[in-house]
Amino acid sequence: MAKLTREDLAKIKQDAVEAEKNWIKVGYSSCGIAAGAQEIFNVLREEARKHNADIEIKKCGCVGMCSAEPIVEVCVKGLPRVHYGKVDRETAVKIIEDHVCGKLLVNDHVMGIQG
Amino acid sequence: MSKTVFIKDTGTAGKDRTRDFYGFFLGVIREKGLENEVIPVRVADIGLYNQGVVVRVVPDNFVYAQVEESDVSLIVDSIKTGKPYSAKLVKPVSKQLRIVLRNCGVVDPESLEDYIAHDGFAALAKVLESYTPEKVIQEMKASGLRGRGGAGFPTGMKWEFTRKSQSDQKYIVCNGDEGDPGAYMDRGVLEGDPYSVIEGMIIGGYAIGASKGLFYIRAEYPVAIERIEKAIKRCHETGLLGNNILGSSFSFDLEIRLGAGAFVCGEETALIASIEGKRGYPSPRPPFPSVKGLWGRPTCINNVETLANVPVILHKGADWFSKIGTETAKGTKVFAVTGKVRNSGLVEVPMGTTVEDIVYGICGGAMRGKQVKAIQTGGPSGGVIPKEYFGTKVDYESLQKMGSIMGSGGMIVMDEDDCMVDIAKFYLGFCVDESCGKCAPCRIGGTQMLKLLTKVTDGRGTQEDLARLEQISHAMQKASLCGLGQTAPNPVLSTLHYYRAEYDAHVNERKCPACKCANLLQFVIVQDKCVKCGMCFKACPVGAISGSRESGYLIDQTKCIRCGQCFEVCKPKAISRS
Repeated sequence: MAKLTREDLAKIKQDAVEAEKNWIKVGYSSCGIAAGAQEIFNVLREEARKHNADIEIKKCGCVGMCSAEPIVEVCVKGLPRVHYGKVDRETAVKIIEDHVCGKLLVNDHVMGIQG
Repeated sequence: MSKTVFIKDTGTAGKDRTRDFYGFFLGVIREKGLENEVIPVRVADIGLYNQGVVVRVVPDNFVYAQVEESDVSLIVDSIKTGKPYSAKLVKPVSKQLRIVLRNCGVVDPESLEDYIAHDGFAALAKVLESYTPEKVIQEMKASGLRGRGGAGFPTGMKWEFTRKSQSDQKYIVCNGDEGDPGAYMDRGVLEGDPYSVIEGMIIGGYAIGASKGLFYIRAEYPVAIERIEKAIKRCHETGLLGNNILGSSFSFDLEIRLGAGAFVCGEETALIASIEGKRGYPSPRPPFPSVKGLWGRPTCINNVETLANVPVILHKGADWFSKIGTETAKGTKVFAVTGKVRNSGLVEVPMGTTVEDIVYGICGGAMRGKQVKAIQTGGPSGGVIPKEYFGTKVDYESLQKMGSIMGSGGMIVMDEDDCMVDIAKFYLGFCVDESCGKCAPCRIGGTQMLKLLTKVTDGRGTQEDLARLEQISHAMQKASLCGLGQTAPNPVLSTLHYYRAEYDAHVNERKCPACKCANLLQFVIVQDKCVKCGMCFKACPVGAISGSRESGYLIDQTKCIRCGQCFEVCKPKAISRS
């Protein structure tokens, strides 16, 4: 990759804002990995593919609620942005089926509400 | 667009009514024909504690506490109109403020583009374009940022000292040798937002006139190391490290050195020795590293959290930063809250927030109906703060006044089951293990103190032993060579100060009030209460319980290791602990 200039920084930022779409972030620091984030990440990707869901699944660092890992943050337009905590396989499937595809939040796992 | 109602019963007494209220809401919503407009959701944690049933409406962002069944219909009406239902409305204030952790859990730590999209490297671009190194130092001084590693030395001054030292080569070192038990703030930042630390180091290098920086990270943090390695590689590829960064005349390079996990290597002179490939021994100061450090050259050593603050300060300005916090401590502090607390994790609060707000407001207090007894801050160099003093504000001076220290940010919550003598013994034991052995006060003093504390917890202690503990503590504080030995007695002195009665009980009555010290305990089955279920028999890891479901059970005191597992599993509470 070519050397970055100051103008490139501004452009990367601008592009990112424009490209923003629905996403899921999985907490992927030591605490999350130890709690099984890897499996949850794979399940989410697999389910999204199965349902042909238009959603980007990304990794992120630890949001701070280490006791609630694995944590998954979901942002779907038209719905409140929330963090799900203590996500297991079953909940991960529900997140794709209900939250992403059905536009309905999953009960009993919401840990943080971003509004 | 539909509105969402989040519901959670935050009361601690009795049954969780979240499901009941979810049902009430569903019923009322159906009755009013609002199924498509209002959608209820049961929540696992709503951010408020001990406030009855809490309901939050999004996107209006109205929060109601102590909600009763009779309120449900009125709340649903208010959702429809969009006006708040004032009778139960509360305005929760967010106690956290995220500066260091701004990107943790937000950006992809392995994506440079994601970091840039969140204002990454904007500060570096600004600094290289329009700031002289002196101006950067001036900004840092004006911001009032103090070192987050524990001692709280003003970062701007540290940079200035290193800048003023004359040399052909200078170094900036990131101290990621986080060793306090239960503390992992730096790991969180290195793993969650590696680029911000790198940006902080490049800016630091520019300010002090260093062309080379080193990360010193403990080898026990493999994920952090991997991410920093990847980030450095990406920065090289994109010209954010190397020659002529962002088209300027400034050149800077970064490397990683791994620590083998010795606690003393977090001390700056020992850290330098370790990087140089020598044994991790501390050496007397002066000369300070800012004059004569790594390979004899001026070296500036900053903590991970300190460096993560740097880009934000320069991006948003020293004025903005210095408005946060208290008179003497600016900005925020990340704490790793662990131990017997409901929500353990990383918490970032403005300086001057009370301990109470952190432990109860953010972390939700003790677990399973227990009572919080105290917190321990500052790791093995710190002390305890009893519950009665939870009004204490967290900043360098207030914590020191309480006999503890800010330290790097470990905060361990203890409840009624924790014995303070045992806690002191644990921390002292840690320091004895980690003492490098170079100076006698730390090497011999620590070992002797540990022997005395073991005597006390075994029920063989005397009042003279307690007096001797204090005497050796003071000697260690005065005569040890480095911070490790000087501060190692702090947990002992602090618990002796606040919990003298517990020490006295161990010595005079041969009792452990918290029922923790194994040698002072005896577990006996009270036959009148025993229902012969056999749970204790199954739970005992050493086979000290004999008997059958017909004849009942007995504990063999000679085999019992007093682990307390039988006590925990006994439903009818037929096992007495004394």
